[in-house]
Amino acid sequence: MGRFIIIGERIHCISPVIREAMNTMNPEPILARAKEQLDAGATYIDVNIGPAESNGPELMTWAVKLLQENFNNVPLALDTANKAAIEAGIAVYNRDKGKPIVNSADAGDRLSYVDLAAANDAIVIALCSKGAVPGSLDEIMGFCQELLEHGMMLGMEPTDMWFDPLFLVAKGMQDKQQQILDAIKGFAEMGLNSTGGLSNVSNGMPKELRPIMDSAMLAMSMANGLTSAIVNPCDRRLIETMKSCDILKDNYMYADSYLDL
Amino acid sequence: MALTGIQIFKLTPKKNCKECGSPTCMAFSMKVAQGAVTIDKCPHMSEEALAQLSEATAPPMKTITIGAGDEEHKLGGETVLFRHEKTLVSKNLYAVNLTAADDADAKLAAMTKVDYDRIGERMYVELVNVKYTGEGADAYAALVQKAAATGRTLVLECADADAAKAALAVCKDKGPVLNGANPSNYEAMSAIATEAGVALGVTADTLEALYDTVAALEKAGNKNLVLDVGTASIKDAFSKAVLIRRAALKDEDRTFGYPSIVNIGAIAAGKPELQAALAAVFTLKYGSILVMEDMSYAQALALYGLRQNIYTDPQKPMKVEPGIYPINGADENSVCVTTVDFALTYFVVSGELERSGVPCNLLISDAGGMSVLTAWAAGKLSAGTIAKFIEEHEIANKIKNRTLIIPGKVAVLKGEMEAKLPDWNIVVGTTEAVQLVKFMKDYK
Amino acid sequence: MPFKLTPQPFKAAIKEVEVGCGAKAIKLGGEKTFPFYSFDAEMPNAPKVGVEISDLGFENEVAGIKDFYGDVTNVVEMAKKAAAMEGADFVVLRLESADPNGVNKSVDECAELAKAVADAIDAPLAIMGCKNDEKDGELLVKVSEVLEGKNAMILSAKEANYKTIGASAGMAYGQKVGAESAVDINLAKQLNVLLTQLGVKGETVVMNLGTAAAGYGYEYVASTLDRTKAAALGQNDDMLQMPIITPISTETYGVKEAIASEDDMPEWGSQETRAIDMEVVTAAACLASGSNAVILRHPASVATVSTMIKELM
Repeated sequence: MGRFIIIGERIHCISPVIREAMNTMNPEPILARAKEQLDAGATYIDVNIGPAESNGPELMTWAVKLLQENFNNVPLALDTANKAAIEAGIAVYNRDKGKPIVNSADAGDRLSYVDLAAANDAIVIALCSKGAVPGSLDEIMGFCQELLEHGMMLGMEPTDMWFDPLFLVAKGMQDKQQQILDAIKGFAEMGLNSTGGLSNVSNGMPKELRPIMDSAMLAMSMANGLTSAIVNPCDRRLIETMKSCDILKDNYMYADSYLDL
Repeated sequence: MALTGIQIFKLTPKKNCKECGSPTCMAFSMKVAQGAVTIDKCPHMSEEALAQLSEATAPPMKTITIGAGDEEHKLGGETVLFRHEKTLVSKNLYAVNLTAADDADAKLAAMTKVDYDRIGERMYVELVNVKYTGEGADAYAALVQKAAATGRTLVLECADADAAKAALAVCKDKGPVLNGANPSNYEAMSAIATEAGVALGVTADTLEALYDTVAALEKAGNKNLVLDVGTASIKDAFSKAVLIRRAALKDEDRTFGYPSIVNIGAIAAGKPELQAALAAVFTLKYGSILVMEDMSYAQALALYGLRQNIYTDPQKPMKVEPGIYPINGADENSVCVTTVDFALTYFVVSGELERSGVPCNLLISDAGGMSVLTAWAAGKLSAGTIAKFIEEHEIANKIKNRTLIIPGKVAVLKGEMEAKLPDWNIVVGTTEAVQLVKFMKDYK
Repeated sequence: MPFKLTPQPFKAAIKEVEVGCGAKAIKLGGEKTFPFYSFDAEMPNAPKVGVEISDLGFENEVAGIKDFYGDVTNVVEMAKKAAAMEGADFVVLRLESADPNGVNKSVDECAELAKAVADAIDAPLAIMGCKNDEKDGELLVKVSEVLEGKNAMILSAKEANYKTIGASAGMAYGQKVGAESAVDINLAKQLNVLLTQLGVKGETVVMNLGTAAAGYGYEYVASTLDRTKAAALGQNDDMLQMPIITPISTETYGVKEAIASEDDMPEWGSQETRAIDMEVVTAAACLASGSNAVILRHPASVATVSTMIKELM
């Protein structure tokens, strides 16, 4: 197995600084956030430009070029509800460091994002849901099969579909957590890759608790076979946990300085 | 190896006809993978897909048995490409090449001279490759008979049907390999091999042709095969050996799931050093039967040592027999040195002692095949175990000298040993073997 | 379905390290495949063969080595002959006389010799210390300094002395640094990390992962080499992507098979043949598992291994 893949989530239009930078096409704040995430250990950078209904293609093209030109063709996850913007981004994307990721498809309204990924030889994040929170493990695995089947009929390699079990907040949904871990295990047993917004688990918790809870969830998820997560790589405890788990899973050769690498 | 639902899905017609009772082909495939339904519930699976499915559950590489009785050998059966991934199961075997042009008696006599024990393993040339060079069936059979008289298992390198039949008539009970099939004669040769109940060697100029020939042989029911990588060039033989094994184990293409024959003597004729070097390469990279022009003692010492290392099971330590090992012509008056039975420790320590030139008796006690400190921590190397060893092996009767040098890493044992062995002078040696040469010279 | 050969090169590559200057300079590494897997992708640089000579001369060597150097009386002349040996790509000067437990020559004296040798040959030069970590810590620093401009390979920096050797050889004087560990992949990686953190560039480091003669625990060597290449190429581990150099002769000429005289072991035959076979078998095994360079002593071994490499390329 390869090393665990961190998709850095901090270039997101929900952040006022980033939203402002995107509005004015100002490179500095975006480059700064990308750099801190890469320095901290991100492999992929997620680029969420929001709905971007008016200038999506133009904005995504600009962002892809900006990031790849400044960071040695860093691989990117293209994250928007505007499909034309994703296609425009992929058109200028350099694949040297990895295929682009389409973020994201689901088994409901966004099923066509699988088609988009298939048509553009991209990876797709496939959320195992039809909009609502899945009720049971069987339901998650059912959505997984639907998505997988859809992708494979379109000629996609199963490994290019990264399944998202939909991480849920622990505070209030404690009883759902084991089901998520079981779903990850189910994906892994089929040889599938997986990812997701792991820090959902600690939503609403005091700030000082979040890294602890996120790290615990990451360790348990990796033990069950999670291969990637969309998180804030600047969370040092989380990254240290990820690196330690990579050693324990024999994904990466140990050296005393492994946390520095 | 069980298939995943996805691998099965790839083989289904993907029509979602629901005739199997499942809503989609994917759902059906998942159930098959879990063992909940059997594949025959799908009425639309192609024959090729079904064959692939049944193949997929077989081991990736077949184990071929050759020889007979004490000289029975297993080839193949590997599941990994590198020894660190798990363990390699069937060591490569060596053959010496014999043709009508050779002085057969002299060659066979030289071959049988190399026969010795190394850490519990008999080191010798297991096979004789008898190559047919057009001398006629009777003459070939006579040569084969001579080779068979050595007791070694034979590889009959012979693509001539009559000669092969004559040769098999005199040796088929000894489980030889008939190495003579190629794309133009495989049907006839396969019939001869099957009739005699022996493994068939197959060769072809290209991998594609070899693959097609193997597939045809399998279709005809012969799966007792060995693949000859040919003698086009060193590079070609190496490429074929790697690609065949990789196709079988990594890409799970079982058509190439057979052991190999590499005729090193033919691709490096007249160059014994180059043959030794290539034999080392093919020991690591996927040769099963290695044919040499000759096997000198010099080649054997290096090559069999290498093979023993590579094919050792990583889970099992290599151990030497406990006992007295006299070094540099030691006698009963020479000083005693002791260490553990872990083969690597033994070799390193005995090597350094030899280099010192000082006669000494190396006493090896049973320490469970562990290194010095590990054995000490596990209680396998203690004052008690050494005292017991000295008693059981009656060292006091066999050696008059009463000085015993113990490993520096277990200096802590000195006091206890002096108590348990009161008439011995216990001396603490060095912590590293490399310091032994100086230590022994100074000690003397 | 017919068989179709699909090349399977890795995306990652071994770093390319250049040693020496001018027309005779050599490049180690650069490949994206396991050794000699030319069906996946050509190896850009063939593995190289170095010839080991000692500043203590060749008095104790087997006949074929003595014959080769003949009436040569000094180390500089010996180096010239070594450089011209058939199949030799570089020369390795072992400064054995520096050993404090042996001749204990001064650092300056040894460095002067290294300089004289470097000036006398145009083949790339590697310098081996005396295996005493403390003395090597001083010696190799001085050697790095006097060889400035020669782009030599300094063998080796170990965990005990990497700081001084790394800083001088790898940074101040522009040599290539050998990073030596004893058949331990975790330590090998750690040493590369430490050198990198010191400021030594990955492209100036070659790894000596340690070795053992065939039959003497060689399985650990094989697995260390295999795992290193698998991590470097398969996991894109850039702290293990340095090319590998493996001294062979320093190990094989110490084992019984190569040392025992014909008088002691009559059935074993010629001692010289045994020494050569031990050397070529161990070298070939290392090359098959990924060594980018090997260091040998006997002219017949150098010629044989060099031929084998050419045939496999």
